[in-house]
Formats: sequence, C-alpha cells, structure tokens
Amino acid sequence: MIDQAPVLIIVIPLIFALLTPVVGLWRKSLCYFWILTALALSAAFSVTVFVKVLNTGTIHYNLGGWTPPWGIEYVIDHLNALMLVVVSAIALLTAVYSRKSIEKEFPNKKTAFYTVFLLQATGFLGIVITGDMFNLYVFLEISSLAGYALIAIGEDGALFAAFKYIIIGTIGASFYLIGVGYIYIMTGSLNMADIAALLQQVNNTSVIHIAFAFILAGLIIKMALFPMYIWMPDAYTKAPSASSALIAPLMTKISAYILVRVIFTIFKPEFITANLPVTKIMLWLGFAAIIYGAIMSIAQTDFKRMLCFIIVAEIGYIVGGIGLFNPTAIKGAILHILNDAVMTAGLFFIAGIVKYKTGFHNLTDFKDLFKKMPVTMGAFVIIALSVIGVPPTCGFFSKWYLIKGAIIGNAWPFAAALLFSSLVNVVLFFRIFEIGYGFDHGHDSGGHEELGSGSLISEAPATMLLPSMLVSLIIIFTGIYNQTIITNIIEHVTPNL
Amino acid sequence: MIDFIVTKYNYLFYIVLFLIGFYAIIVKKNLVKKVIGMNIMQTSIILFYVSIGCKKDGTLPILLDSDLHSHAIDAGKYLNPLPHVLMLTAIVVMVATLGVALAVLILMYKQYGTLEEDELLKRIK
Amino acid sequence: MKFKILSLFFIVITGIILIYGVAGMPDLADPDSPASRHVSPEYIQNTYKDAHTPNMVTTILADYRGYDTLGETTVIFTAGIACILLLKNLKGRKSHD
Repeated sequence: MIDQAPVLIIVIPLIFALLTPVVGLWRKSLCYFWILTALALSAAFSVTVFVKVLNTGTIHYNLGGWTPPWGIEYVIDHLNALMLVVVSAIALLTAVYSRKSIEKEFPNKKTAFYTVFLLQATGFLGIVITGDMFNLYVFLEISSLAGYALIAIGEDGALFAAFKYIIIGTIGASFYLIGVGYIYIMTGSLNMADIAALLQQVNNTSVIHIAFAFILAGLIIKMALFPMYIWMPDAYTKAPSASSALIAPLMTKISAYILVRVIFTIFKPEFITANLPVTKIMLWLGFAAIIYGAIMSIAQTDFKRMLCFIIVAEIGYIVGGIGLFNPTAIKGAILHILNDAVMTAGLFFIAGIVKYKTGFHNLTDFKDLFKKMPVTMGAFVIIALSVIGVPPTCGFFSKWYLIKGAIIGNAWPFAAALLFSSLVNVVLFFRIFEIGYGFDHGHDSGGHEELGSGSLISEAPATMLLPSMLVSLIIIFTGIYNQTIITNIIEHVTPNL
Repeated sequence: MIDFIVTKYNYLFYIVLFLIGFYAIIVKKNLVKKVIGMNIMQTSIILFYVSIGCKKDGTLPILLDSDLHSHAIDAGKYLNPLPHVLMLTAIVVMVATLGVALAVLILMYKQYGTLEEDELLKRIK
Repeated sequence: MKFKILSLFFIVITGIILIYGVAGMPDLADPDSPASRHVSPEYIQNTYKDAHTPNMVTTILADYRGYDTLGETTVIFTAGIACILLLKNLKGRKSHD
C-alpha cells in the first residue's frame, strides 16, 4: 500500500470524482462528506509520501511499470512532497469550508459543483506530482477546465470574466504546448529528467531558446504576472466564495511551482544565466508587478478585488526572488510560494465569510464585524499581519529571505519595492481594521452606541470558522518552525549557484 | 531561403495558422469569432506535432505482417508514433475547452442578449 | 484602428520569433532527427513484443502512456460535468430582454 501511495494521491480523488454524480443521485447531501473523504485520504497519502521523502530521498514511481523515458513517471523530491501536502491540505480545508456558502449560493447545483471541485483539486495535485512534461499539460488542462466552470457560476459578470479566462488561459496552455513541442523536436523526449540530461548537448540552439521563452510566456499568463494579469482580478472577484478560495491561492502558486521546476530541474541554472537575460527580465517583471499590485490594491473598494491585486504583488515577490538568482532569494521565493498559498487561502476564507454574513464583499461591509464575529476577525488579523510581514508569522520570514537576497544581489530597487509593498499592506489592512472596529465616525454615529451593547455576537458557521482558524494556526506554526522547513526541505532543492 | 521553405514548409504553415488564430482572438470583437480563433490556434499546434512525427519513406505506424515476428525491426520504416498519441490527447482537450467555452457563451447570450464585446461590457455595468 | 495595428505588430513579432525557432530545427521528415532517434524506435521495435498489438499508436496510447489517456478521459468528464454545472436550470432562467 505504501509503495503505491504516490499514485493513490491522484487516483483516489479521481475515482471519487467519477462516482460523485452517482452518490448525488442517491442523496445530494452526502456529496459533501464524499468529497471530504476523498480529499482527506489524498491528504493522508500526501503526508505519507512526504514523510517517506524526508527519510529516504527522492521517490521515483513508474506508472504501469514502464521504464521512464518510454512510460510516464512520478518524481517526488523535497519540493514536490511539500507542495503536495500544502495543496491537498488547502483543498481539504476549502472543501470543509465550502458547505454553507454552497447551500446559500446555489443549493440545487451541489452535486455538479462538488464533482468539478474534486476534479479541480485532482488537477492541481497531478500537476505537482508528475515528472513528465506532457502529462503536466494534461493535468493543467483538467484543472483549468474545472476552474473555468467554477468561476463561471459566480455572481453577475462572472460569465464574461470566465470567458476572458478561458481565452487567455488557453493561449497560455498553447504556448506551453508549443514550448514542449520545440523541446521534443530537439531532444526526442518528454520525461523531465531525461530532457534535462539531453539538453546539455543542444543548449545553444535557437530552438531551445524559443522553447524556453514560450514555456515561460505560457506560465507567466497562467500565474498572472504583471503584464498578463488582466484575466485574474475579474475572475477571482466574481467567482463564488468556495471556488475562489480553492482557485485563487493554488492556481497562481502552482504555476509558480512549475516555473521553479522548469528553471531548476529541466533547464539547468547554467543555461538560464548563460544564454538569455531571463533573470534580469524576471527581476524587473517582479519589481513592476509588486509596485503595480500595491498601487492598484489601494485603489480598490471591493475586498476580493483588493486581494486579487495583493496576489499580483505576491507573484511579483516570487518571480522577482527567482530572478535575483542567488540561493538566499531562491529559498525565500520557494518559501513564499508555500506561505502565500496558505495566506491567500485564509484571506479568501474571510472574504467568503463576509459575503455569507453580509451578502457583499466590499470594504465597507466590514463595518462592526469585529464586534459581531470576534473569533473570525481574530483569525483575519493574524492572516493580515502575516501578509504585512510581522514576526512571528510566516509571511515575515519569506520576506526576510527575499530582502536579504536582494541586498546580496545588489538589487536595491527590488528591496525597496518589497518594503513599499509591505507598507501598502499595512495601510490596506489597518484601513479594514478601522472600519471593522467602527472607528469610522464619518456617516453614522447613532448606530455606534446601539452596536456597542455587545448583544450582537453572531459568529460564522463552524464549518467556515474552523478552516479559517486552522489557517491562522498554520501561519503561526510555519512562522515559528520556518528554520526547520528551510534546512530540512528547501535547502535540498536550492541549486548551488 | 527557398531551401529553408522547401525543407520546413510544414512548420511554416503551422505558424501562419497559429498567427491567424491568435489574430482572431486579439482583434475580433465577436466572442464566437474569438472561440473560432482559439480553435484554429489549437489545431495549428496539432498540425505542428503531427509534422514532427513525419519520416521520409515511412509508412503508417502499424506493423507490417512481415515484421510481426522479426526481431530487428527497422525503425526508419515507420512514422514516429509518439506525436500522434500526444495529439489524440490534445484534440480531446481542444474539444473539451470548446464545449465549456460554448456553454459559457450560451449562458451569456441568455443573460445579456448579445455576444458583441462592446455591447456586453455596456450591459454588464 | 490603432489597436488593430498594435496587435498586428505584436502578432508579427510572435511570428518572427516562431520562425526564428523553426530555422534551427531538423528538416521536415528527417529520419535522423532526435525526435525519431531517441525514444520512438523502442516503441516501434517493442510494440508487438510488449503488447501483442501491431498498431503502435494503440500500444502507446493504452500502454506506455496509458496514464495520459486516463487524464484525457478525465478532461472529457470534467468538460461534461462543467457543462452540466453551467447549463442546469437553463430553462428556468429569464432572458434579459
């Protein structure tokens, strides 16, 4: 059983997803527990694999028993293993969280929603675990297709946002496929490790340069890096709360993970620095994304839209950190992929709770929520502090490594941009705290007295509250144990530069 | 130049098709035309991959009777089967994307009564 | 109009980049290209031995890369369920105008 754990991570949610419509025919309310079981099993196997990787090193799993360059293989190293745990944990938490918001937003589509939800999670896990470039494309498309549907069922305007996402997402995937084709024509292989070995001979050909450029362009579109972010704010703002809590943290971070994989595993770092000004471009794109995301997030009055622009800035952190190309910054970037997935999930949980309670997700809807839901807002404060980067939350440490890396690499503008973005985040979140505590005496002073009586406490439902609290706990724990994560896991995947 | 075109004309045709699709996606204002452009673009990639599998004097990737039990099959005699397999998958992906895109378009038409981008943006606000 | 020219310019740039890539590729139908030399000969030579199927495309689709095919069917399933999710209760929806 334990030897088969890598494939079970994918196959269990896949089989459960196939059977969800059947379960839904029998009893609709069971679907929720059905997908919870699937994701819990998947998460359990992820943890098993993670522990095994920590003990014995990289795992190779040949699907169907065919030897790698001919068959498909799963390669799970330290980076994958950690990503698997993060992705499956967030998927599980989001599944727990989704219950009430689905019941409120579209009760009659439960079965189909949960099926697509599970397929989306399967797609994400499949992308992370695979060691084959074409297999990655297939799972990328599974997760994208599921994502299109999950976004399209949202509020007014979601259809157009989803359509934009379909078009732009397909362009991104097509670019990736072209890149894979160009690599295939020069090496004759699709297996990542095999390609990495074969590329050494053909590194200097124009075809490989173009292949890299197209894969990079496709991933930039998929991860919504600054010039290509246009599909993202609309799509994530208009999506239903449960879908945005699953897609927003994971889709962009997994694309960032693929970028790390492509740069450090397939094309070796020597190729990146020797042939193209890629690192410079990435650094400056990251810089632009941070500045732009920070400025745009101040201008928003919609909470979810503000979060989307925060994501734009955070993606800038990650890409810029990789672009700095020194071990410290890369450590920071990889740590930030994980941290940011957790933090963004938490923020979108809060956005969903606000929407559930008030019906909207504008900044003004936070009014007096701190009095009504002290526990939820306590979790929100922890998550917000982590986004700002206050120790001992995890957001501080990844930012610390990034800034240290920027100083080592003499990239002062990037360091300044990081600090600027932290300042902007302070403004953003403290503005919300102010609204939430009702310090805003601007338009009504009468209601203030009445709400102060304390009789109005109405917390979010337990299924929504629990995941938010867990996320805030995870944030604090990963912050405290960040050194352990860095030395035991991330150091193994940081290349020697 | 002529040599370049003669030896690689398939790859050039794929680029032309790809650009036509890309143009339609970017410039056309009608959403159905955008979807058609998307499909042309994906089809062009399929043509590209299938061209990779081409071999001079090669036959279909199905073993001839004479080769069934021979131990030393000449690989040059058959086309490269791998790109064909990959594209079977890509075709399915293309159809699936088309299906979801059309479903979204149907809903949009029901809701807003138009599929022209300018009109739509006005009606959404 | 300006938008059209700008996007045409962008598209032409993309085309030039792609053609630049093509220039370095092995010739079309070259039996010695890496794509036909590295992995695919094994498929051709072993197809009957491994799977008793003369059709190599079938063997690769269902055996060597069978997992991709599982993904492919999942893509179709996803699209089907996605359409159900989107189009359910369509008749109940009132048209806008």
